[in-house]
This record gives sequence, C-alpha cells and structure tokens, in this order.
Amino acid sequence: MIRLEHVTKVYEGGTVAAHDVSLDIQKGEFVFLVGPSGSGKSTLIRLMLRDEGVTRGKIWVAGKDITTLPKWKIPYLRRSVGTVFQDYKLLPNKTVAENVSFALEVLGRPRSVIGPQVDQVLDLVGLADKGGRYPRQLSGGEQQRVSVARAFVNRPPIMLCDEPTGNLDPKTSVGIMKLLDRINRTGTTIVMATHDFAIVDAMQRRVVALEKGLVTRDEHSGRYEQGDS
Amino acid sequence: MSRFFFLLREALVNLKRNFLVVAGAILAVFISLSLAFGALVVNEILRLNTLAWQEGVHVIAFLKDEGTSGVPVGAHQTLLQEVLTWEEVKQPDGAFYVDKSQAWVEYQEIFAGQEELLAINPTILPASIRIELVAIELHQSVKFKLEQQQQVVRRVDTAAEQIEQLQNLSSVLNVLGIGMAVVLGLSAVVLIANTIRLAIYARRDEVEIMKLVGASNWYIRIPFLLEGLIEGVVGAALAVFTVWLGATRLARASEGFALFRLDVSSDFFFRWGLLFVLFGAAAGVIGSLLGLSRYLREADGTGEDVPTGAV
Repeated sequence: MIRLEHVTKVYEGGTVAAHDVSLDIQKGEFVFLVGPSGSGKSTLIRLMLRDEGVTRGKIWVAGKDITTLPKWKIPYLRRSVGTVFQDYKLLPNKTVAENVSFALEVLGRPRSVIGPQVDQVLDLVGLADKGGRYPRQLSGGEQQRVSVARAFVNRPPIMLCDEPTGNLDPKTSVGIMKLLDRINRTGTTIVMATHDFAIVDAMQRRVVALEKGLVTRDEHSGRYEQGDS
Repeated sequence: MSRFFFLLREALVNLKRNFLVVAGAILAVFISLSLAFGALVVNEILRLNTLAWQEGVHVIAFLKDEGTSGVPVGAHQTLLQEVLTWEEVKQPDGAFYVDKSQAWVEYQEIFAGQEELLAINPTILPASIRIELVAIELHQSVKFKLEQQQQVVRRVDTAAEQIEQLQNLSSVLNVLGIGMAVVLGLSAVVLIANTIRLAIYARRDEVEIMKLVGASNWYIRIPFLLEGLIEGVVGAALAVFTVWLGATRLARASEGFALFRLDVSSDFFFRWGLLFVLFGAAAGVIGSLLGLSRYLREADGTGEDVPTGAV
C-alpha cells in the first residue's frame, strides 16, 4: 500500500530528516513510527502526503509513484489519504458536521450523499449528538474525534496520523486509539507517528523506530523500546 | 451545480465575516472608478460643447456701407458670390448676407429690454457676410482673403481661434482622462489584490486545511475570485451610480444656461456604465488572481499550471 525506497530528505541548511529509509507497508497494516523529537517521524508523514518533496529515493502510495506526481495531481493523492494531526486542524467557524462534510464538499459529492455519510461517521466517533456545535465548544478529545471523522468520512484506504494523542490526556488518548483501531479493522492502512510509549506497548502493532533520520528497528508486534518487557 | 452554490455560499459567508476589509476594498474601487468615470463624463461634456460650438457661423466679415467711401452699389453681393466660390466655405450655402435692416432686427433681439442700448441710430449697424467653414482649421486662410478686400470689408471677426483652443483643451483633457482612468483602474486592481492577500493571510489555516483534505488550487481560488468579483462589481456600480446622480443633478441645475451644456445622454451613461461595471468585475477577478498566485505558489513550491479539470 505504501512503499519507501532509499528515501533521503535533506532540508536547506543540511539537516538530514530521513536517510536512506526503505519501508514496505501492506494493506490493512497499523504501523507506529516512533522515536525522539527530531528523529524524522513527522517528516516521513509529510513525505507520504507530498507535503514535502524527497531529496533522493522513491515513494509509492496506493501503487503510484508520488515523487514524480505533477503538482496539480497532489489533491487527488490527498483525497485517498486521510490525515489526523496533533493540533486537530479544524475550521473554527464551521460546526462539527460542517467540518466533516467539508472533506466531501471538496470532492463534489452531492448533498444527498454527504448528509447520511456525515451522520454515519459522527456516530462512529461518538459525536452524533454534537454535529451542530463549534470546535471551541468541544473538549480536546472531542475535537480530535472530529478530526478523525473528517479524515475517515471519505473512506480512504490510508490514514496518516501525526501525534494524534500528543495534546490529550492518557484516558482520552485510549479512546482515540480505540477509534483508530476500529477504523483499521475495516481494512484501512494506518501509519501513526507517536512518542506515546504506553499506547505503542498496549497496541502491540508493527513499530518502526527512527533516530536521526535512520530506521533503527522495524518489528511486527513491537514495543516502544527495544527489549522492554 | 451544487458545488458552485457551495463555493458561492463560502464566498458570501467570507464577505460577511471580513466585513471591514471587504468594505475597504469596495470603497477603494468606488473612489478609483468614481474619479475615472467622472473624468470620462467631463470629457464627454467638453466634446459635446466643442461640437455644438463648431456648428454654425465661424467667420463674420463686417462690410463698409455701399455708396460711401468708394464702395460701389452691388459690391456686397459681388463679394458674397466670390466667397461662395471659395473651397474653404461649406457648400452650397455656407455663406449668407445680412443687410443693415436684418442686423438691426438681430441687434434688437440680442439687447431686448435694454432701452439705453436700443436707443442707437440703426443705420450705424453694418451689413455683414456670415461664413461657415468646411473645417475650423481653415479660418486663417479665409480671414486673410477677406482682409485683402479692404475696399468693401471693414473688419473680420472669427470665433475659430476660441473653438480651436477648446478643441486643443478637449484633446489634452481626453488624453489626461484616459491616462487617469488607466492609472485609477490599475490602482483598483492593486487594491483588490492587496485586500484578497490580506483575506488569504487571515484565512491561511483554512486554506491549509482545504489543501489537506484534497482541494485543488482552483477549488481554493474560486471563493476568493467570487469575493473579488463581488467587491469589484459593487464598487464599480456604486461609482457609476454616484457619478450619474451627480451629473444629472448638475445638468438639471444648469438648465437655461445657454453657454455651456452639462447634459450627457443616458445612452452614454448606460454604455460606459456597463463597461465600468464589467471593468470592476475584471479588476476584482484579476486582483484576486494576483493576490492568490503568490500565496498558492509558495504553498505549492515552484507552482505548475493547474488544469481547470482538477477543480
């Protein structure tokens, strides 16, 4: 589903955020990208979203080489990849339902389809009764649920999550992880950058550890730290 | 279609949200285009007046009385026949004779009610030949020819110099007016571009989210383009309406003032008003495109041509 082949990313000024990274992520996998701050987790997420271009190497997403994708085709790539970020990235002037439906409006879906699809996904994330509220009227956990709902409303085959629990307390984080796990069980591939060891250890999914842009470990059913029991 | 209405709704909501910035842009377009449209109307007034003054008599040759000072009887008619053969004179009846009695009637009409001026001896009024030229520029040649007829001609008067001055003034003002309209039109485009840039800056998070969920550059552009279009059209329509109102009020106030016409046809206002509103719309769209281009290019890296099909 996602393949990185000898990917290197060097920023202006010489900072190496990714060095010769090769990864093969299968359809339906749940992959944690772990590592300390500055290890290159978020950069890999941005490279997979074509928010940044690679310095060297190739990235395939859903069978397409996105490193050579013309800029005008990037929106099409993003329509097949849901994204969740630490800071939620919700539109403050739109209600919960409008924030979620926005992702479908962009695709030009008819209103008759948008309404039921939004209701369904809000029900999935447990916010069916809060569709008319504005983001400022919700807790952090609820806002992140809206963000997950927006990412998933289009039923994308891939979801990229960059520290989705970074702003949340442990209990709320568990709720978000349960939600992502549920989405993953529908066959959606999820790649999540995190340094929340409790979540990684509890989920027991594939773990790719990064340090200074290098892949130092790639384990199926892994833990946050190597050798932890 | 539903997508267009969604984008239109987005544009209208944004206009409402950024009311002060939008009002500023509309005001800027209104001021620029009011000045430009006003300059055009002044030009039209000058053109109409120059045209009106160009029609009719351009040169008057006042004649010495026949039978006196060696002017033979019949000399006036002989001169008239000669004048009618001149190529500078409008054919077939570009010159006509006004005898002393007709001159007195004319004098009485002009100075009606002014008893002290009417108390003159009518015989002192000279006969004259009134001449209409083919082109106003020919007045000097005709004046010269008449002045050669010293035996019959007492004095030659011409309004041509004044008309020529008016023509020159009119053409200078025309160029100035066009220049002013172009400069003010461009300033309207720049002002709209700046306003849209401010609006984008205020909504950069929103634009980022739009890109994140897969909106194409054109999809992001359209609400901003609609905003620019609405600002341009409203500003231009207000400018046209204000200038029209001012000009018609002025024309009404100056009714009966024979020397200078201030009335401009409603056809002129309709034609040029429509053009100005279209220009306002174009200025709005171009201004928005300029305001957006830099931001979207920066957001996308170097930027490539985006086919409209990607909307």
